[in-house]
Amino acid sequence: MIVAFRDNVEGILLACAELIENPDCDLISAKDKDELKQKMDFTGIDEVKVFGFRCVADTTMLVRNIFGKQGSRMFQRDPDVEGYIAMVLRHGSSKPIELVRFLCSCKGNAELLYSGKSITGKKYYNYMRAVSRSYHRLCMFARPYLVNGVLSVKVDSPHRIGDMFCRWLARKNPDLPVSVIEGDVAWIGNGGHVGLEHFTKVPSSLAGSLGFSNACDEVDEMWDMYYDSQMIQKRRNKSHAKQLQPKDSASMSMMSERDRYKVERGIANCTLDNFASNPDV
Amino acid sequence: MMFFKASFITKFFFSSIISVFTLKIIISYCFVLLPVLSVFFLNTFTPLASGLYSCHTYYLLMIQRNPANEHHMTLMERMRVLSEGTKYDSCNQSAVCHAFGPDGRCIQLYKTLMTNACSGECTYCPNRCGRDSVRASLSPEEIVKITWSFYRRNAIEGLFLSSGVIGDAERTAEKQLDVARLLRGQGFTGYIHIRVMPGTPKYLLEEIADYANKFGVNAETTSSVNYSEICPNFDYQSDVLQRLQWTRDLINKKRCEAGFQGRIVGANDTQFVVGALQEPDREIIETVEKFMDRYELRRPYFMSFDPVPFTPLESNDPSPLWREVRLYQTSYLLKDYGLTASDLDRVLDDNGFLVDADPKMLLASCSPDMFPVNINTASREQLLTVPGIGPVGANRIIQSRPIKSEKELTRMGVVLARARPFIEINGKKQTNLFSFAGVGA
Repeated sequence: MIVAFRDNVEGILLACAELIENPDCDLISAKDKDELKQKMDFTGIDEVKVFGFRCVADTTMLVRNIFGKQGSRMFQRDPDVEGYIAMVLRHGSSKPIELVRFLCSCKGNAELLYSGKSITGKKYYNYMRAVSRSYHRLCMFARPYLVNGVLSVKVDSPHRIGDMFCRWLARKNPDLPVSVIEGDVAWIGNGGHVGLEHFTKVPSSLAGSLGFSNACDEVDEMWDMYYDSQMIQKRRNKSHAKQLQPKDSASMSMMSERDRYKVERGIANCTLDNFASNPDV
Repeated sequence: MMFFKASFITKFFFSSIISVFTLKIIISYCFVLLPVLSVFFLNTFTPLASGLYSCHTYYLLMIQRNPANEHHMTLMERMRVLSEGTKYDSCNQSAVCHAFGPDGRCIQLYKTLMTNACSGECTYCPNRCGRDSVRASLSPEEIVKITWSFYRRNAIEGLFLSSGVIGDAERTAEKQLDVARLLRGQGFTGYIHIRVMPGTPKYLLEEIADYANKFGVNAETTSSVNYSEICPNFDYQSDVLQRLQWTRDLINKKRCEAGFQGRIVGANDTQFVVGALQEPDREIIETVEKFMDRYELRRPYFMSFDPVPFTPLESNDPSPLWREVRLYQTSYLLKDYGLTASDLDRVLDDNGFLVDADPKMLLASCSPDMFPVNINTASREQLLTVPGIGPVGANRIIQSRPIKSEKELTRMGVVLARARPFIEINGKKQTNLFSFAGVGA
């Protein structure tokens, strides 16, 4: 028998439940029905159970059925099992079939997802942490611009987390529509303000027409001045600061790039302006 | 003779004419020209002279007060002056940090003073009344505008607002309240932390509690006597301790309100200036414990004293930075490890001061009989005594038992380099000099 499932949280959990019932079944995963059809044509097997292409299951109940009462997580910030699967699926290297088999191998012990005691467990835990870290870094270092009344930002992440970030940004700014452009798609949050759905996905060309500017504006200047004012030279801990404001943060926005530069090089006490305004120097 | 007479008459005649003319001139000068000239001179030169004088005075004042800016200060300049005034304030709120300064401290709030023109005479403070320094202020509208700009750009999570005392504590709190009210009125959902002045009236604290996520007053020191020495304008008992108690009550009240509109309500916090008055660390630790007990203080902040020129304490020695770090470590031992101030007596020297060493490591070194601790069988309390294992690490260890290797511990966030001499895993432990020599365990 073949179990075909969609690579979303619901599909993974349903496939997992089925695999526990029928450990000998084969697994096929697909992003959508078209992909599934292509894969099924190739196998030529008739006995197929398809999961996850219609939203019918309550994922919380499924998790409870598979893992029972969940134990405490390794780190306080670790997500629950649903969140764990959602995060792992966003990782570019994750393999849904392997993930389903790993979840089954835990035999109802959710702690094994977080403890990293097996090689696969460690790998998927690291995937989850990598996605989670990317998301948090976006929340920290992405700097949206207010363009034509829409708070817009372009993000570039190895994992598909544009929608997560868009939801976070929309929660933070409930009074403004927000647009997060990720590759060829754009996520619109608080769309009600501009006559769209509350949260929707549109082609990036639509949101891209808002226009962006890389030039420093008044807010950038104010931030630079504020950032510089908070530095205490006596307490400078360069290596610690470099760890916290990592190199890849510089690629997220112009502001973060300048901050990272100052973390690496320090803040210059003397600038060219000093020479221009005082020729004696 | 006739010639002499004629010449004399002529001379007299002419001299009389001249004298009359001269007299007329003098009279006319006195009565007409003098007033005219006086009016002319007064009108022309007096304003010039007074203008020159006032310009000179203004120039001197500017040079004296503000040598860098001999002009009206722009918004950016005022912002810089006032932000620098808060750079020593810690305001961790365990949310998203948006930037990290070159010194390694995170930036998650826009920290500013409303004004640094303070009517207080705190002896250690650079903003004390009467000290020559650049004075600046930001209006509530300006603070709101800057906060919004940074917040929209996702550069901050909220605002930390402190101030110099504007006349009295009540007026200052009203101004701070204006800022919070304006922000919330405009739909600001971010975090607001207000550092209120000692002596802020209760009714204003109640109003501030409606808008701010966190607010509190700085204790600065450990006793009334010390406080009156460094902050002569305020009373420790009524202006500080009473406010800490009110703050605790208001926080508890707000936390009881259902959800408090989904807003975080921060715990009571306060700040101590360390080393301004040579008070021993024992006194500070005891005060912190007392505050935790009485005012539900969650986390004390410590600021090393650094003498400021042209203040009464300018000749005092600065407090070493490590002292601040060690005090933070002891405060965590009180807060998270369930130790008491008397437990920490062992890490203090004879004068009641901390030494420059990790207090937890010192405590462990003082009790060699308690170690090594078996990682797989020890209780949480025993695990917490091991340097390098914190409360979170201890929970993870208990959760992940059985633990078979050191590698697993590293993964759980245990600092193995510190913990190794004090632990035992599967019967394996580090050999120390005593056991090598066959002395003791």
